[in-house]
This record gives sequence, structure tokens and C-alpha cells, in this order.
Amino acid sequence: MSTRFRFTKALAVLAGAALALTACGGGTTGADAKDSGTMTYWSMWKVGEPQQKVIAQAISDFEKQTGATVKVQWQGRSNTTKLVPALNTSNVPDLVDGSYAKLAPVLGNTGEALPLTDAYASAIDGKKVSDLIPGKYLAASNIKDSGGQPWMLPYSLSSDAIWFNAAKNPGLAAAPPTNWDDFMALLNKEKAAGQVPLAADGDIAGYNSAWFSNLMIHAEGPGSLYKIASDKSGAAWDSPAVLAAAQKVQALAQGGYLINGYNASKWPAQQQAWANGGADLLLNGSWIPTETGTYAAKGFQYSSFPFPAVSGQPPMARADFVGWAVPKKAKDPALAQKLAAFLLNKKYQDDLGTQAKVLPIRADAQTSPEMSTVKTAIDNAKEIYQADDGITFPGYTTKVYWPIDDQLFLGKINATQFVAKMKAAQLAYWKGQG
Amino acid sequence: MSALTTKLPRRASGPAEKPGRRPGGSSIDRQRRKLLVPFVGPAFIFYTVLFIVPAFAAVWISLNDWAGSGPMTFVGFSNYIQVFQDPLFLKSFGNTLLLLFVVGAVVFALAFAMTLVLRDMAAKKIVRNVIFFPHLINALVFGVLAGFIFNPGGMVNTLLKPLGVSEPPAWLAQDNIFPLIMATMVMTTTGYFTTILMAGVDRIPPYFYEDCALAGATAFQRLRYVILPLTWDVFGTCAVLWTISSIKIFEIIWVFGGSSGAGIPPTQSWTVAVYTYVTAFSGLSTPAYGAATASAIISLALVSVLVVLLRRAMRRDAIEF
Repeated sequence: MSTRFRFTKALAVLAGAALALTACGGGTTGADAKDSGTMTYWSMWKVGEPQQKVIAQAISDFEKQTGATVKVQWQGRSNTTKLVPALNTSNVPDLVDGSYAKLAPVLGNTGEALPLTDAYASAIDGKKVSDLIPGKYLAASNIKDSGGQPWMLPYSLSSDAIWFNAAKNPGLAAAPPTNWDDFMALLNKEKAAGQVPLAADGDIAGYNSAWFSNLMIHAEGPGSLYKIASDKSGAAWDSPAVLAAAQKVQALAQGGYLINGYNASKWPAQQQAWANGGADLLLNGSWIPTETGTYAAKGFQYSSFPFPAVSGQPPMARADFVGWAVPKKAKDPALAQKLAAFLLNKKYQDDLGTQAKVLPIRADAQTSPEMSTVKTAIDNAKEIYQADDGITFPGYTTKVYWPIDDQLFLGKINATQFVAKMKAAQLAYWKGQG
Repeated sequence: MSALTTKLPRRASGPAEKPGRRPGGSSIDRQRRKLLVPFVGPAFIFYTVLFIVPAFAAVWISLNDWAGSGPMTFVGFSNYIQVFQDPLFLKSFGNTLLLLFVVGAVVFALAFAMTLVLRDMAAKKIVRNVIFFPHLINALVFGVLAGFIFNPGGMVNTLLKPLGVSEPPAWLAQDNIFPLIMATMVMTTTGYFTTILMAGVDRIPPYFYEDCALAGATAFQRLRYVILPLTWDVFGTCAVLWTISSIKIFEIIWVFGGSSGAGIPPTQSWTVAVYTYVTAFSGLSTPAYGAATASAIISLALVSVLVVLLRRAMRRDAIEF
């Protein structure tokens, strides 16, 4: 055997190995050009979820009607996280969905989202899409790009409410507390009767902050918390309204209304306890009936009342968009917008309401009985706001607001300390942002 | 073989090969040199493409303001300044050092003690497997189990109740999660290092121990003059392994305090790895890739410095036996 032969043999082996490795990355290329179009959709839902079933049905109908091919990846909630690195490559999906809070940081705020003018202008069930979505929603959320065009098309909403078992508390369903003082009176009455009034999974910062955020927004109106958070000097925290809201949270945390140990427990232990009668009330999202349905006590009847009013503000409700966005780099944005608008057909909107039991974006769509109280609250609301007032500054919620709010809600600091800490931390935050 | 001998004179008389510049060595050496490029080349290319280029790219990103996509703005070292001024980063950095030094010290003290006890123990193979077992379990399991065990209505409190403890500690309170994580790390890694150290100790020939017995050496003297010098290199390798892995600890913290992935762990239990992840991928606010990579580069620098220092401190002449 010659050295040259050995050398070639070694090379051949290496080349073979290299080919084998690259073969893994190849995959299928290009769809049939005869199709009327092919698009990719990265979904926030996983196979088997009720929302996934509705969307899968809609996609299948869409393919039949248009002859287009939709390649779906049911990725789950991490789809937006995966989208960020993908935006720097040519492998970009044509359509993604997610909540506003997740789409805005990666697409909306960075200018990477396509304006969905075509989708809004298209007609569904004989009406313009822009007319199908109630105007008060569009007024509340900041889904307009620098050119003033919306980059997100919502197909459903998530909201929050104070949930209870109507089978156990029929009186509450008939006459819920409408303002904060009534609410506190209810808590005190229950506590005096030996019943634990409130449950909360204290390890979820986003649930904890719902109390302060809601109180602040209900006192000063939608956008007020956002304005406070954007104040670079932090001085906005000195407002008496802030202290008043913080004092209300402090009263909740230190008043003995919550299940003992809520501050040292792991989700979903507390909502499980609530669903089994461990406490009467739970402030949580509109997903609670589906999420706790499997382990709730027998005969549990989901009902809710909206977050109590604080002062002379008009009735308001939280409504966070869940919906579509199209990256600017999408290969077939026209088809993507067509599919996005397609889900606003009454049929799928009804399915979202009755089968997936979420709140459809169309006001005329049907909803499930569990959602009726939340739906009424949103329909009656004059103003709409978003969770944590739609704040998306880099790291602000995760590193500044939530950790300090946790301390307040978990009873480690009082309202005055909370205000002082927030003021200092926010000043440092904006200094660091430069 | 005949092919080789006929080949050699032809190569030697080739016009390109001048006798004076020809590197010395046998024909085997020359063949080795020839094969260096085809064998090392692909690995080198893969390594460069997959590790070295991204590392340099990370350094570049850390000097920019970038949301992960869209425009990049060069900001110099301001990400580093911002990260070092962030009390949360300093807290996370402190936690990383706690894991590295405190957990490391406890793990090695326990592993060494167990090695000594297990050497003379009956059924040591079974025991070795038992203590290694926790290392095989996914951190996710510990995260989920923590809820079952330590929730207010969980196992521990239910067991404590009959003993008259009506006000048990708030096990999973935000301030207690990190100590719990440290204890879990000790539990899961002690077995791993015990196994490696034991392999080193088992390698020591029995006649050294017989010598010790004949000379009347105490257990401590045996440790000091036989076991430690003869397992020093194993010990050094373990120390480097622990340094590298402890700085990357992430998933156990994520699942322990983060409601098994449904939320973000409380900031009291963050490490630099968690800080980096939240800064880039929290999904709830605009990603700050510049600050995230700055924090990642800082921990890379920390690992590099510590490993070099460790190698220096642990350097001894290898003992042949």
C-alpha cells in the first residue's frame, strides 16, 4: 500500500464523513412551483391544545379554498424566542402568532414587523376586517408602527377577573363588589366568618404585579403606569396616587387574607387549593377555567367579577391581544395576511369562543358560559388597558418592577419602602440604559 | 511493505525536496506530519466555525446595542459598565461564586471523606452506584419534586405536623430557594466526584498500604503521604471540571424557583447564567443582546482566569507508580 493511496483513503473517509454530516442539514427544498403559494407558520400553540384544533381546522379549510400550502410548525409559546435568531437568517416564517407582550419586543418595537394594511383592508363575511375589531381595543394597544400602520392582527383576547365558585357563593354572582371599599369589606366579612378570602400563587411575579398594576390603572387611567415607568428621574413614583395603590396592596399582603404560605409555594399549588375550596377568590387570567378545570372540586361553577373600581374613572377592563404578525422578511406576505384575516371568519371566531373557551376578538362571536361575566365586563368597558400597562422596556419588568413588587405583595416591605425602592431602581435603570 | 520501500527512493529524489531543508525523523514521523492536515484540518475548521467565530462574534455583539434583529448601534464598553452597575448582576455574580466556592468546598470535602470510608467498606460497588444515582436525574425532576416536598401543604410539613411543628419554616420563600438549590447541588454532584476520586484511589497499589501498616502510620499520615500525592492529578482534574460546570449552572435554578418554567425564578436565586438568559430571552421585554453577551463574556473570562489559576496552584510533578 503506498502512502499516497493511504492519503487518498484518509481523505475519502473524511469526505464521506463530511457528506454524511451535511446531509443531515439538507432537508427538503422548495415546494412544487405549480401551487398557488406556500407559506410557513410558526404557531404559539402545541398539538392538542384547544386553540390549536380550531386553527388547524381553519388552515385546512383555507388550503382547500385557496389551493395554497401552509407549512405549520406547532412550536408552543417559545416561538417568539426562536424567532429572534431566525430573523437574522433567510429562514423566516411568513406568519407567527403570540400575545402582544411577546410579539412587541421581538417584532413590533424593533421595526421587524410588516404593516398588515392588506389584512385590515380585506373583507371577511362581507365586512372590512378593520370594522370587525371593536375600535376601543385598537385605541388601547400600541400596535401601530412608525408609519402609523398596525403590525398585529388580533384573533382573540385574554383578560383578567376575580374568579369564584358560583355554586358556593351564589350571592356574589348576583351582587359582586363594584368598588375597592366594597371589595375590602367582603374580604373582612369572609375573614371574620373563618373563611380564607383570597388565593395567589406568590411565586409568579406576573400574577403578583396584577394587583398593583390594576390598582394604579384603575386609579389614574390606562397608560398612567406606563408613564410612571418611563420617567427617567423616577420622581413620578412620588405621586400620592402611587403610594395609595401600594398601601392597598400592602393591606392585602399583611391583612391575613391570603392562604397561609402563599409566599413560599410553587405554582400551581395555590390555584389548586382555590379550585378545591381552600379560598374563595382568585385574581387571575381568563384562562383559569380551562387551566384549573381538570382538578377543580366537583360541581365548581366558574364565575367572576371585574377588578373593582377605585375612584371616579369610567368602567375599564384589561384586554391583551393574542394574534398574528408577519415578519418583514416573509417570503409570501400576501398569503400570510390572507390566512391571518381568514381566522376572523365568524365560524372560527365562534369555535374559539365555544370550543377553545377563549375570548374571540369579534364582538359578535359566541363565548362559553364560563367566559360570560368577563365578556360582559369587556363589552361594558369604556376603556381598555393591557397587563402591566403594556410596558416592554428591555428588562424593566423582569429586573426592576417585578422583583420589588414581589417584595411588597409577599409582605416583606411596606408601601413607603416600595415607593422608595422603585424610585431608586428606576433611576438606576434609566441611567444604565443611557 | 514492498510498496513503501519502492516509494521511498522516488520521494527522496523528487525535485522539490532539497536534502538540506528536509525535516529530520523517520518515515513514520514524515507520514504523521503529512496526515496532520487532513486529520486535524476538518476538526480545526469545525472548531473555528462553531466555537471560535461565535466567541468573537459575541465579543463584537457585546460592544453594541442590539435587540437580536434589526439595526445594531456601536456603544463601546457601555454594556459592560451597565452590567457592572446593575445590582442584580452583582447579586447573580455573587451567587455564582457561592456555588463555585461554597458548594465546591462542601462537595469535595464530602467526596473525599466518602472515598476514604468507602475504600475499606463492604459492598462498596453498590454504595458507589447509590451515591452516583442522583447525578443521573434530570434537574427538572428536582424542580418539580421541590413543590411536592416543600409546598406549604407538602410532604415535609405534613410529616412535621404530628411532631408538633405548627409553624414550619417557609421553605420555598424567595430568600430560601437559593440555599435549597445549593443543598440540591451538593446532593447531586457529591456522588459524581466521589466516583471519579475513588477511581483514582483504587489505582494505588495495595503494597503502599501494607508499607504504611508495617511502618505504623496513622490514618492521617496514610492520607497525607500516600493517598493525596498519588491522587493529586485526579483531584486537579475534578477541580477544573467543577469550576467549569458550576459557572454554567442554569436549569436547576430555572425550574426550582420558576414554577417549573411557567415564570421567571426570583432574582434572589439568579446566577450569571440566568441573568444572561433573562436579559436576552425573557420574552417579556425587548431583548438586550448586547448586555446579555457582555454578561456571558464576563463569565467566560471568569472561567478562564480561574482554570488557569487552578492549574497553576495544582501543578505538581506527576508521580509514576
